[in-house]
Amino acid sequence: MRANQRLAANARQAGTACGHRFRRLSATHLAPGRRLRQSKIGPMVRRARWRRAVWFGLLALAVLAAGYTVFLDFRVRHEFEGRRFALPARIYARPLELHVGLRIPEADVVRELDALGYRTQAREGESGWYVRNGNQLDIAARPFVFWDGPQPARRMRVTFDGDAVSALRDMQGADLPLARLEPIAIGGIYPTNNEDRVLVRLGEVPKSLIDELIAVEDRRFYTHWGFDPRALARASLSLFTGRVEGGSTLTQQLVKNFFLTPERTIQRKLTELVMAVLLELHYSKQEILETYLNEIYLGQDRDRAIHGVGLAAQFYFGKEVHSLTLEESALLVALVKGPGYYDPYRHPRRALERRNLVLRETKDEGIITAAQYEAARATPLGLKAKPGTGTSPYPAFVQLVHRQLREDYDDADLRSEGLRIFTTLDPRVQAAAEHALTDRLAQFDRQKRFGAPGLEGAVVIADPQTGEVQALVGGRETTFRGFNRALDTARPVGSLLKPAIYLTALADPSHYTLATPLDDSPFVWKARGAEDWRPANYDRRFHGAVPLIVALEQSYNVAAARLGTGLGVERVIATARKLGIERDLPPYAATLLGAVALSPFEVAQMYQTIASGGFRSPLHAIRDVTTQDGTPLKRYPLAVEQAFPPEPVYLLVAALQGVVRQGTAQSLAQWLPPEIGAAGKTGTTNDQRDAWFAGFTGDHVGVVWVGYDDDRAARLLGASAALPVWGEAMAALQPEPLALPLPEGVEQAWIDPQTGLLADSGCAGAMQLPFAAGSAPTARAPSCAGVAVGERVKSWFERIFGL
Amino acid sequence: MRILTLLLALLAGCAAVPPGVPPAPPAPPQENLAVASLVDSAHNEAAAGRLASAAASLERALRIEPRNPRLWRELAAVRMQQGEYAQAESLAARSNAWAGSDAQLRAENWRLIARSRDARGDADGARAANETAERYAR
Repeated sequence: MRANQRLAANARQAGTACGHRFRRLSATHLAPGRRLRQSKIGPMVRRARWRRAVWFGLLALAVLAAGYTVFLDFRVRHEFEGRRFALPARIYARPLELHVGLRIPEADVVRELDALGYRTQAREGESGWYVRNGNQLDIAARPFVFWDGPQPARRMRVTFDGDAVSALRDMQGADLPLARLEPIAIGGIYPTNNEDRVLVRLGEVPKSLIDELIAVEDRRFYTHWGFDPRALARASLSLFTGRVEGGSTLTQQLVKNFFLTPERTIQRKLTELVMAVLLELHYSKQEILETYLNEIYLGQDRDRAIHGVGLAAQFYFGKEVHSLTLEESALLVALVKGPGYYDPYRHPRRALERRNLVLRETKDEGIITAAQYEAARATPLGLKAKPGTGTSPYPAFVQLVHRQLREDYDDADLRSEGLRIFTTLDPRVQAAAEHALTDRLAQFDRQKRFGAPGLEGAVVIADPQTGEVQALVGGRETTFRGFNRALDTARPVGSLLKPAIYLTALADPSHYTLATPLDDSPFVWKARGAEDWRPANYDRRFHGAVPLIVALEQSYNVAAARLGTGLGVERVIATARKLGIERDLPPYAATLLGAVALSPFEVAQMYQTIASGGFRSPLHAIRDVTTQDGTPLKRYPLAVEQAFPPEPVYLLVAALQGVVRQGTAQSLAQWLPPEIGAAGKTGTTNDQRDAWFAGFTGDHVGVVWVGYDDDRAARLLGASAALPVWGEAMAALQPEPLALPLPEGVEQAWIDPQTGLLADSGCAGAMQLPFAAGSAPTARAPSCAGVAVGERVKSWFERIFGL
Repeated sequence: MRILTLLLALLAGCAAVPPGVPPAPPAPPQENLAVASLVDSAHNEAAAGRLASAAASLERALRIEPRNPRLWRELAAVRMQQGEYAQAESLAARSNAWAGSDAQLRAENWRLIARSRDARGDADGARAANETAERYAR
């Protein structure tokens, strides 16, 4: 009676937590049979006293058996009650939000829907499909519980014009302001055995599935006491034929999965039987069935084990369990016997036969009619197109998510509480980054353009306005969960650090403007206790006096070193820190030219601050976290800190746009048209071991590193090895033009490139440059009409600006 | 709530450009339905005291129109209500960065910055911000 009350209490609990209170034991957790075997062997007795000894032995055996049963009973109750299935944290990409004006090709929306497992045929009354019709896309979006609440299933019609959404309507033709699709699941943080499941309550499981399961696996489930004597007798007979098989009730199967090792001995069989009876004593059929349906192993997705009908329904059919059809349920029941052998992706014919057998037995039991049977039998398997990608298709990004989560959560909770993690990953951006990196590296290998094959790389792309990480590629094997170069490789950054020098200078407009001449003549830096430092330019020449903007555009090392040491290495390092470099940079002059090792992720943070006009937003991969049932737990709100006033950053960005327009990154024009106005910087390190490119458009800031893991010299140039990857990724994304708002304190002035003085806009060769208010030259250049170009030795201004 | 009312008053007042200030170009070139609906949700959520949801809705709007200074301004106001004063100031500065010649918006941003500094006990900073606000409001 007391047990019944407890059960009722459990059932009430189960109302919210469903089968949640059961947890699977680890495989190391005992084999009780062995202990029994040892203790059963009593001391040898003399023949004369055999009778007494037998009685004694039997008594001892009875006591032991009773004790063992009590022990098992304890285990059954202890392990089943108050325990739960370990549910992995589930990680989602950003949801795609459709609205009029969104620039996205129809093909990319279709790709998103395919990744969500949507079907390509209309199924009235169901959600999770789309139909393409010319430039129209009809979508039956599934319901989804977002951080801000549940969103019901909805139908919509999206019309495309060119590569943008031109109309978004419901099926009555009314305009929809916004339609948020469900996010793609991109992975999880799994228990150590990579067991994955989606818990379902018995009420959600279609009756047909339960009927089929019972018809095939355990016909007398509702009447037996945990074991089926007839089936057991059959199985016992087969013992003597040498094969232990069949005869297991659902309860026994559950016990086996929960508590026991897979060894096939009589002892184990007996223990299983006793425990099954105990289980039946303590729990209702409904509870046992619910637990079974959540526990059962139904497939393997590379390293991820598919458990339970909830996840299996998603994995094979891309739908929730309650909407499974008769024949779809039958396939899941068919898989109980052997998910590998009957794997419907690898052995479709075998799976189909087994499924139809399930259907036939269901018909034979009188549960479905002959007509239903015939109709179901004639239906193809109807699997979801994409068979999954293991624990994650984006292991590098998931690693970043995991690390950022661990700042707020216990790892054990992440692996067992079924948290739902909503991230910032944009699958479109990720795909573009992956393709660009893998294609380019493969091409370099084929062309033998650099050193030996096996070049590696990493890409980080973020939203410059918010700091959201949109893509992270940790190496050319993008689905390999290994060394994450985007986060964990730290390589010298070369010229990528130069913007910190120039920003330090431009923040002092009384001394430095974009037109200020810098000295690019031979330079020696002497420091006590260190060797003299003699920086050289890449072209091994010196260029005399060059305007500041040109020194950055052409990446002149000597001018930058002289400027940086003049400003003070400490000041430049302070600027780098404000830009978001948290790592301690050594206060040596060589740091100025990038003799410090940073990860692509750190560099991306630095360029995010520049790209947003001086507003640093910590790069982050997570937006929200909810519990398994959708209750919000934590938000990671957009965080902004103004690290620099807008004026010097604006000037720096103008110079970095110059790098792309006419400097070391000119070749980017192959990928991006000039009206994008991309800004960026190439980086190449000593002996050309590392190639970098960091840059930004209006909506993406990206960093690419290319090099060898073993740090060998590779004749790598930022502009020839890393820039093409960046350019290709960005071109695929059709980026927004870069248009930094003109700060109030910035004015434009026309400059005579020859003298660096004010000029008229009509003057031949006059160029417009931005200046912090009051810092533009005030003196006018002599009349431009009087200068005969070509008669004089060309100044640096002239040569650079192509006069 | 007070801030929201102020904000609504501000948005309403934006239509009338005070004399002497160059006319502000409309911030978004055309009203984006998606953004408008998200801003509506944010207002409703803020009115119901669900500030985190209001912030989330505004962030969604910002992903669609990151250059809309009014969205940054609204987010600053919500952060202010949440007691995130430093964030409120940064977001108001972000709004200023995109404000162009919208002096009215700049003035309101500076007033919010003043309140944020006040709340953090920076009286001098608050006074300076208020003076800047007055300059724009004139």
